[in-house]
Amino acid sequence: MPKPHLALLAALLLAFGISHFSGLIDPYYLDVLTGIGINVILAVSLNLVNGYTGQFSLGHAGFMSVGAYLAAAVSVFLGPTLLGPGGGTAFQQNALFLGALLTGGLSAAVAGLLVGVPSLRLKGDYLALVTLGFGEIIRVIFQNVEKLGGALGLNGIPAYTSIFWVLVFVALSVFVVTCLVHSTYGRGFLATHDDEIAAEAVGLNTTRYKIVAFVIGAFFAGIAGGLYGHFKMTITPSGFDFTKSIEIVVMVILGGMGNTLGVILAAILLTLLPEVLRSVAEYRMILYSFLLIVLMLARPQGLFNFKRRKAKP
Amino acid sequence: MPAPLLQLEQATIRFGGLTAVSAVDFTVGEGELCGLIGPNGAGKTTVFNLITGVYQPTGGTVSFCGRPLAGLRVDEIVALGIARTFQNIRLFGSLSVFDNVRVACNLHRATSPVHSLLRLEAFRADEAAIARRAEELLDLFNLRRFRDAPADSLPYGEQRRLEIVRCLATKPRLLLLDEPAAGMNPTEKVELVRLIQQIQRQFSLSILLVEHSMKVVMSCCQRIAVLDYGIKIAEGDPARIQADPKVIEAYLGEDHQSVAGH
Ligand SMILES: Nc1ncnc2c1ncn2[C@@H]1O[C@H](COP(=O)(O)OP(=O)(O)O)[C@@H](O)[C@H]1O
Ligand SMILES: [Mg+2]
Repeated sequence: MPKPHLALLAALLLAFGISHFSGLIDPYYLDVLTGIGINVILAVSLNLVNGYTGQFSLGHAGFMSVGAYLAAAVSVFLGPTLLGPGGGTAFQQNALFLGALLTGGLSAAVAGLLVGVPSLRLKGDYLALVTLGFGEIIRVIFQNVEKLGGALGLNGIPAYTSIFWVLVFVALSVFVVTCLVHSTYGRGFLATHDDEIAAEAVGLNTTRYKIVAFVIGAFFAGIAGGLYGHFKMTITPSGFDFTKSIEIVVMVILGGMGNTLGVILAAILLTLLPEVLRSVAEYRMILYSFLLIVLMLARPQGLFNFKRRKAKP
Repeated sequence: MPAPLLQLEQATIRFGGLTAVSAVDFTVGEGELCGLIGPNGAGKTTVFNLITGVYQPTGGTVSFCGRPLAGLRVDEIVALGIARTFQNIRLFGSLSVFDNVRVACNLHRATSPVHSLLRLEAFRADEAAIARRAEELLDLFNLRRFRDAPADSLPYGEQRRLEIVRCLATKPRLLLLDEPAAGMNPTEKVELVRLIQQIQRQFSLSILLVEHSMKVVMSCCQRIAVLDYGIKIAEGDPARIQADPKVIEAYLGEDHQSVAGH
């Protein structure tokens, strides 16, 4: 079996083990761990776009919201019919949840395709603008769909998200991104980042690479959204605003752009930071912002970027 | 008679009021090593940009093996078998030397992108074959010792040579070299000429060589075209070009010595 698959298998077994003993873990820590996992999925997937491929998307929260709403719609509106009056067995519920997550992920991927194809074909930095606009538009749309709760949000989402599913999708997102960028095909993402003109001159279809990265990124953002909705049990359009997108962008930058391990560590750190700062409640956001600025100034190449740069002939 | 490998017919491009390339007719035959020379700003790089699809001609046609290239994307033209280097070296700076070559092997990858996730036997065989080919190419240019160093950390001359290796990885039939000798000292230039002749034979390539100075061109090209202000002012073998009064005049303005080859 190839090494990445062994690692994936080990991660899945670990997810199974941890979820088996999750009864022994303090529910607060379990919640924190779930939050970390969701942010890791978001950051690792955005890193494929903003880090490895060198595009600048500001719409990750938008794709997250598409996934959150569509996945929630599946379990809220289709769930009762599919599971029957008894509510179904645990297995049936998990199967429904997986279906809901995939629906959310695929819907987000389709949204990614619709946004990505027109904007990524243009040369230049249109993506930031377009994704910024997309995030706002999608928020306004969800605010106005009464069936999905409008501005008040969608309530009563079943709490299907377990640490098991979170860890499974953390493992899958890391697996997909790592396998891609370490293959000959995937080196094309990095080449596109380094020099688009040179990438085309060696026969790479850079537009296709950018779209592929963007759609895969959107897919996992959608999955993360689905996990988030079934974790919080309620979602509002404003929960996926511009601030949330920025938060994910900061994780990618702090992790060292195009460095999966660094981005994972940054996602963990930036999720824990507000928790640790909980004791100083009212100064929390100020302190958080201040720490961010200090980190960015002290290590502009990313907190966890330790790449060496010199040739050793 | 078969169509020439590369054919420019009345190729023209205007940028606003400036006609950078003006009605140029030129061909490169199978297995030829041709030169394209001219003073700075004559339009040599622009001719390369026309051939490789970076710019679409405002007039005339460019064809490869009898096929017009109009409307094709840059990467599609590379796939047909035209590879180029850049006057200002454009490597993938943060990628390793090995990866710079490897990524150019994508055109001839045997497995689809989905295989990078499945990682079945076919994928591993494909990746191993690509790695072997990339390393062979690096060996050929004595760049293997830099294999894992980031490309932008290489010495200047090595970067130039790496760019040529990267072209070869796309398996071109026609290689376009844009001032490969720029910034090299006389010894390096002699070495470069040898290298160009070697790869031409070894990979049965046709080569179009753009050079500002004439020393390199005169010593290896069979046929030379001279551009001045976007117009082709002369074409012929090295001896004829060196004696052509129009060529001498075009070069007189700036650097007379380069004609004599010093
Ligand atoms: N994209 C462009 N827009 C406007 N002018 C250009 C462009 N590309 C090249 N030129 C002009 O075309 C002329 C030829 O340039 P170039 O082909 O780079 O010359 P050479 O390679 O022979 O030194 C120059 O005057 C240059 O300024
Ligand atoms: Mg030039």
